[in-house]
Amino acid sequence: MAERNVESVNKVREAVSQDLLGGRIDLLLGWEKGHYWWQSRPLFARSEADLEKLAWDSFCAVNLSRYLLEELKDHDKVGVLVKGCDARAFNRLLQDNMVRREQVILYGLPCPGMLDYNRLVEKAGGAPLEITEENGRVIIKVGSGEQEAQRDDLLLDKCKDCRYPDPAVYDQLLFSPQGEKEVTERFKTVEELEEMSAEERFGYWEKELSRCLRCYACRQACPFCSCRECFVEQENPRWQGRAYQPSENFMFHLVRAYHGTGRCIDCGECERSCPVDIPLQELNRKLIKDINELYGDYEAGLDPEQEPPLLTYRPDDPAAFSEK
Amino acid sequence: MKKVIAREKLPELWKSLAAKGPLFLPIQEGPVVLFQPWSEGAEANLDAVNTAVSAKDVFLPREETYLQYRCSGNQLELIPVENAEPVIAFGVHPCDLKAVEMLDKVYLDQEPSDELYRQRREKTTVVGLSCREPDPFCFCNEFGINPADAPGADVMAHLKNGLVLLEARTDKGKALLDQAGDLLQDGSDEKFEAAEVKTADFGLNLEGLPENLKERFEDPVWDELYKSCLGCGVCTYVCPTCYCFDVEDFGHEGEGQRFRCWDSCMYGHFTDMAGGHNPRAGRKERVRQRFMHKLQYYPETFNEIACVGCGRCLRSCPVNLDIVQAIKALGGETVEQR
Amino acid sequence: MSSANVLMPQQATILDITEETPDIKTLRVVGKEGMPFDFMPGQCAMLSVPPVGEAIFSITSSPTCRECLEFSIKDVGNVSGALHGLQPGQQIGIRGPYGNGFPIEKMKGKDILFIGGGIGLAPLRSLIGYCFAHREEFGHIDIVYGARSPADLIRKSEVRESWAAEPDTSVYLTVDAEFPDWNGHVGFVPNYVSELAFKPEGRIALTCGPPIMIKFVLQALDKLQFSPEQVITTLEMRMKCGVGKCGRCNLGSVYVCKDGPVFSLDELNALPSEY
Ligand code: SF4
Ligand code: SF4
Ligand code: SF4
Ligand code: SF4
Ligand code: SF4
Ligand code: FES
Repeated sequence: MAERNVESVNKVREAVSQDLLGGRIDLLLGWEKGHYWWQSRPLFARSEADLEKLAWDSFCAVNLSRYLLEELKDHDKVGVLVKGCDARAFNRLLQDNMVRREQVILYGLPCPGMLDYNRLVEKAGGAPLEITEENGRVIIKVGSGEQEAQRDDLLLDKCKDCRYPDPAVYDQLLFSPQGEKEVTERFKTVEELEEMSAEERFGYWEKELSRCLRCYACRQACPFCSCRECFVEQENPRWQGRAYQPSENFMFHLVRAYHGTGRCIDCGECERSCPVDIPLQELNRKLIKDINELYGDYEAGLDPEQEPPLLTYRPDDPAAFSEK
Repeated sequence: MKKVIAREKLPELWKSLAAKGPLFLPIQEGPVVLFQPWSEGAEANLDAVNTAVSAKDVFLPREETYLQYRCSGNQLELIPVENAEPVIAFGVHPCDLKAVEMLDKVYLDQEPSDELYRQRREKTTVVGLSCREPDPFCFCNEFGINPADAPGADVMAHLKNGLVLLEARTDKGKALLDQAGDLLQDGSDEKFEAAEVKTADFGLNLEGLPENLKERFEDPVWDELYKSCLGCGVCTYVCPTCYCFDVEDFGHEGEGQRFRCWDSCMYGHFTDMAGGHNPRAGRKERVRQRFMHKLQYYPETFNEIACVGCGRCLRSCPVNLDIVQAIKALGGETVEQR
Repeated sequence: MSSANVLMPQQATILDITEETPDIKTLRVVGKEGMPFDFMPGQCAMLSVPPVGEAIFSITSSPTCRECLEFSIKDVGNVSGALHGLQPGQQIGIRGPYGNGFPIEKMKGKDILFIGGGIGLAPLRSLIGYCFAHREEFGHIDIVYGARSPADLIRKSEVRESWAAEPDTSVYLTVDAEFPDWNGHVGFVPNYVSELAFKPEGRIALTCGPPIMIKFVLQALDKLQFSPEQVITTLEMRMKCGVGKCGRCNLGSVYVCKDGPVFSLDELNALPSEY
């Protein structure tokens, strides 16, 4: 693909290969290409040959931090490529005592936002053959010619309203930072939902959740869902049944979302993983918004030293329920 | 029997067909297309290549209640629940229908046969729909499937220049077209040859793969392949040839129902025994189970690979770990491609 | 029509409940019209207690008992826990029988060695009862049975009194450690089997018990020169359907619920060791 990518991937490879081949890390978590140029999958690199496959382009959406949960069992020291959201995910795991900082080397990748293949298809009006990127614009090649689009219009949903594309934590930053982004629409849908009457809102969620397969992929992909045993599988008491009933749907989604209050890092991996596109971010962001309004601005995963609001007690905490 | 109808007339057809019982169609549900019962106002989408979740939902529903219980004191009443009403599944693509035939082998051919499945299967009239433009993930050619034809369909439908051509191939199919009555016009003059459709070529070579895998349960391949898997189960929920289920009760001590619902070998819970032992305790064992089941265990029993190349696991796996990658890792790749 | 639904349980009633050990109870169960179904030793049945659910248990009574089915159940999970909480007279759901059962044809004319540990006696007991009822079809019968403590031995009086009194039958009991009220053999089951030095000639060995015990029993039998075809065991898996459809109990293309749970060691050796 584009020259820019070749250059940048070489830079990443250079940075990590010293550490991996020199034995500073036992494993590098990165990405490699999938079947197509617009697909990437996690790469578990241990050798030079593995590093040959390394990819860093506009299609590296998978959050790698979560793999630390397993890989740190088998490796003393692991290197991870982290975008903004991956780094916040790392902080999340750190705050939950699921990983130890000294076991991990983070290679920070300021993130331009990842592109959505479906948006490319939509924009191009057909299967894109390849793309080139230049100054915030994307040229999409299709069978019949070329289409040009604004990069921002092609982003994955999870990247659209990302406020912190730069890694909040790293050992080495591999490119120059992007700076905090101004996001205007992060809470737009949440606000629209808040405008609805309770009945309308219930109806909205009942309909959206009705297609939930309850595969729990959203949980599996999530960096805050790192409990050894999730309430969903607990046998005794059996909190969560498997029936496809509205009550069971709501049970799962409300408990999942609440467990993320002040802990969800807004990475959107849940929604990206959902096979039936349930707008999970709307639930998560409602809680983020509430937390911001009740306890002052709080961005989970930015600063591991800053306790999540619901895990701290201050005498002047608002008592929302009794006030309303 | 051959009939035609103009595409813009389809809602009328849906209405008339749905009057007699559930009519399943690829329905646009917000951002995704799902095989669902049509109701007035629902937006059918016949142009979608493949529904996000396969058409197996019609035959082996994600949830199926089969008994009702009532308890009082010592007494327990167990009342069977009848499920099967005549159903029309309209717009089933050739890969999905082929997959249903694979489910038939498990649920019907293999003793004891499964009555819940049999009733749904027998009472469903399938309208197959040929594919015009496969997406980059479709690779059904690899399994000898012709996207232009679904041999097992009761009625075969083709989309052609604003028309839908319908050819009844079974008595059930004829009955369905009869049921639509005047809405359909005679189509005996229409040509039904759908164009040949080429699907993605991933350079696979499936020849002898099942036999080769027989000795590879302990292969080092498994130590790597599973690593990216999140254990999310999406691949199996969307897959048309996956058929595993769970059985659970919904209700309280007094009364309730028992149902079966989809389950997946990708979940730890699937094989977790009371008392704590789990024969497939980790993601490695579970990923191996999924791919071995498709590529070796099922073929060993039923003589074909349990994949139809619908591409759903390629589309939906959040980390792009799919059957094509597995086949390649296991050596099912043509030599030139390597 | 739905009666043919293989997942549909029939109604059954608990006749009585015997407390065997602190965590094992034996339930005697009848169907609406006597026996819920015919079965062979080694087969299993699904018992259900709504709304808790269903679980599979081996039938411990002998098919020659025509009054009821017996299940010795250890309290390890939700359904077994719920069954433990029930009283005689309570109705439950039952379906079955499932599985292949023990290879009786293969055992005929042979000396039989039963090796059981703890709750593992349950499936063997069905077969032992069958052998006694068809005594002339089998040679000498040896029964080695052990548990952690005397309190954990099930069907104690039956084993000691009735079985030991059967013709051409030897019973060997053992517990893992010394106990004040125990003057029998002390030691683990596998060691006891080695000590007793059974000869493999013309003999079939059947073993059921905790996985770790089975593992060492198999080693002991191997040392005693039993060939894999002479050794038979049963497997336990999580099961939901019992009929090879729900997909969770497989070893390769073999489904334990349908093609097992009884396997000879040579059969087992040919399968992926995923149990
Ligand atoms: S990933 Fe989607 S379909 Fe699966 S449980 Fe979560 S919301 Fe439901
Ligand atoms: S809930 Fe979703 S957005 Fe929030 S941390 Fe988890 S995966 Fe990311
Ligand atoms: S969809 Fe992908 S990540 Fe999820 S269980 Fe399947 S292979 Fe694993
Ligand atoms: S394994 Fe993947 S491609 Fe094959 S039938 Fe299943 S979902 Fe489709
Ligand atoms: S065992 Fe796994 S791969 Fe096979 S049908 Fe069941 S869920 Fe699908
Ligand atoms: S219990 Fe369902 S397949 Fe064995």
